[in-house]
Amino acid sequence: MIVLDANRLEQAMQRFAAIVGEEHVWRGEEAQHGYKDAFAPRDALSYAPRGAVAPANVEEVQAIVRVAGEIGIPLWPISRGKNFGYGGSAPRTSEVVMLDLIRMNRILEVNVEMGYCVVEPGVGFDDLYNYLVDNDIPLWMSAPAHTWGSVLGNALERGVGYTPYGEHASKVCGLEIVTGTGELLRTGMGALEGAKSWQLFPYGFGPSWDAAFMQSNFGIATKMGLWLMPEPEHTLNLAMQFDRVEDLPLGVDALRPLKLDGTVQANPSFGNIIRNLAVRAPRSAYYQGTGPIPAAVLDQARVDSGVGHWNFSIRLFGDKAVNQINAEKVKRAFAHLPYEFEVSEWHRGEPLRGSGSPTPTLGALGVVDWLGGPGGHLTFSPVSPFSGAEAWEQYTTIRGMYEDAGFDYYGGFTAGQRYLNHISMVVFNRIDADMTDRANRLFSDLIATAASKGWGEYRTHTLFYDEVARTYDYNNGALRRWNETVKDAVDPHGIIAPGKMGIWPRAYREGQ
Amino acid sequence: MKALVMASMPLVALAGALSLARAAEGDAQKSGQQLFQERCGACHLEGGFGTRVLSRRVPEGQAELEKREVLPAALTTAVVRRGIGSMPQIREGELSDADLQAIALYLEKGS
Repeated sequence: MIVLDANRLEQAMQRFAAIVGEEHVWRGEEAQHGYKDAFAPRDALSYAPRGAVAPANVEEVQAIVRVAGEIGIPLWPISRGKNFGYGGSAPRTSEVVMLDLIRMNRILEVNVEMGYCVVEPGVGFDDLYNYLVDNDIPLWMSAPAHTWGSVLGNALERGVGYTPYGEHASKVCGLEIVTGTGELLRTGMGALEGAKSWQLFPYGFGPSWDAAFMQSNFGIATKMGLWLMPEPEHTLNLAMQFDRVEDLPLGVDALRPLKLDGTVQANPSFGNIIRNLAVRAPRSAYYQGTGPIPAAVLDQARVDSGVGHWNFSIRLFGDKAVNQINAEKVKRAFAHLPYEFEVSEWHRGEPLRGSGSPTPTLGALGVVDWLGGPGGHLTFSPVSPFSGAEAWEQYTTIRGMYEDAGFDYYGGFTAGQRYLNHISMVVFNRIDADMTDRANRLFSDLIATAASKGWGEYRTHTLFYDEVARTYDYNNGALRRWNETVKDAVDPHGIIAPGKMGIWPRAYREGQ
Repeated sequence: MKALVMASMPLVALAGALSLARAAEGDAQKSGQQLFQERCGACHLEGGFGTRVLSRRVPEGQAELEKREVLPAALTTAVVRRGIGSMPQIREGELSDADLQAIALYLEKGS
């Protein structure tokens, strides 16, 4: 690891302060505590940053990057820093200065006719929601489980929501990027001065780079075009819960054809019982023993709480007549299962809560109090083929590993069109050294076991970037070597997010 | 509706809505109560995640911060900047020192 020289760091901080104002730079403990991982599985200050700077606009970002390149100070850009379970606002290594983009929080454009917005990194989901609602704009955003985070940051981390536009990365159309040398470029059609279709045609001319700036450290995104869904006339929700754990494969296989042919356009998520129980009460309300909750206790909690071992909703968005036809098709696909759908409907003009349009919430953070806290969580996110048998093997393997390590399995499968994102959380108490040790070991074991079975993670916690990156090892890590080649070319000073996704600049690789 | 283009638009937060997301340039014209409800309300008003978590730890009737009998401003400030339990820290880039101080004094005095 390259350790920052204190004098050089202070020299950079003074130059940064001259760009943004002294009140927007932070040093020492203020920076460490401001940007630490709030739910860290180990000493949070061991990977908290040395400083932070918060620019107000693109020009200030460019100026900061140029100074950082000149002095050799690595920057760790964040949009809002709410990527909880994946490291939050914390960098990969403490030897960086945070480039905090939260002050760049303008919604630059909402185009109602064409159904898109252009946002800066600091715009949160709740900001966008409030703006659309306050201005009576008939467009819906898609959002993840909690809405505190950045619209741009979440899409570029390939976050997932629950409307037909829920695969957020696929709805990105056009980025503005500050490069590692402080230049400004625009992707896709935005590369044409005066382009009229930057947020309309995603590919541009020649190589298409939007995807290369996702989960990467090749540049700093300062603007993003994102498609928004026209408000539907009607939504129809079909909710079901399974009384038996072993019915998961039947549900997955019933849903697959409906996703493949487009009958179901949103991303239903099969959530396990603990995901449901955890939002109601802490674990001690169900079980006071140590180790994972025994199956019999869990089954009694299921009965007492009126939830399923698996719980999911299939929501249809569109014209009422079409939704009703598709609802019958969904019911037929699940007719061989011994359960009934609970059906609810929403009509345009009714209050949005319950419509499927995501409303501001932080409820999902409740999981961190599952064990009584102070809690933390590590999110493990392998991808599964959209197959009941594959999902079952992944579920039983991973649940078994959680329970062998003494943890409850908290997780679920969120449906893409041809894949499932299997998202589970290792929930621990941060002040319990034995528990955090077990959590860290479990997480490494999960990565290794998953890779041995051909399952790769779609996203991971900051501390585990290298371990996951190493599992993508086809042809002696050809993709990693390609990423390093690109990194060295586009960020010659090696100053943008060193180590992000396991991609290290040359100086760090040679030093290791 | 025609395309709506805003070059520089101040974001408007609804009372009780999640508004920690707003810029932290300071909101000098707002009272501590307004700031608390806008910036902290999503978690710390009735039914919020923070209120639910606190209700497991503090005497009855003390989980809602506005109803807390004793809440020193210094404690609020320290908890916000450092985080505690299930609550992540809120950095100065998100919530200015001036706004935090106004919120802390409001919770201390209840007015």
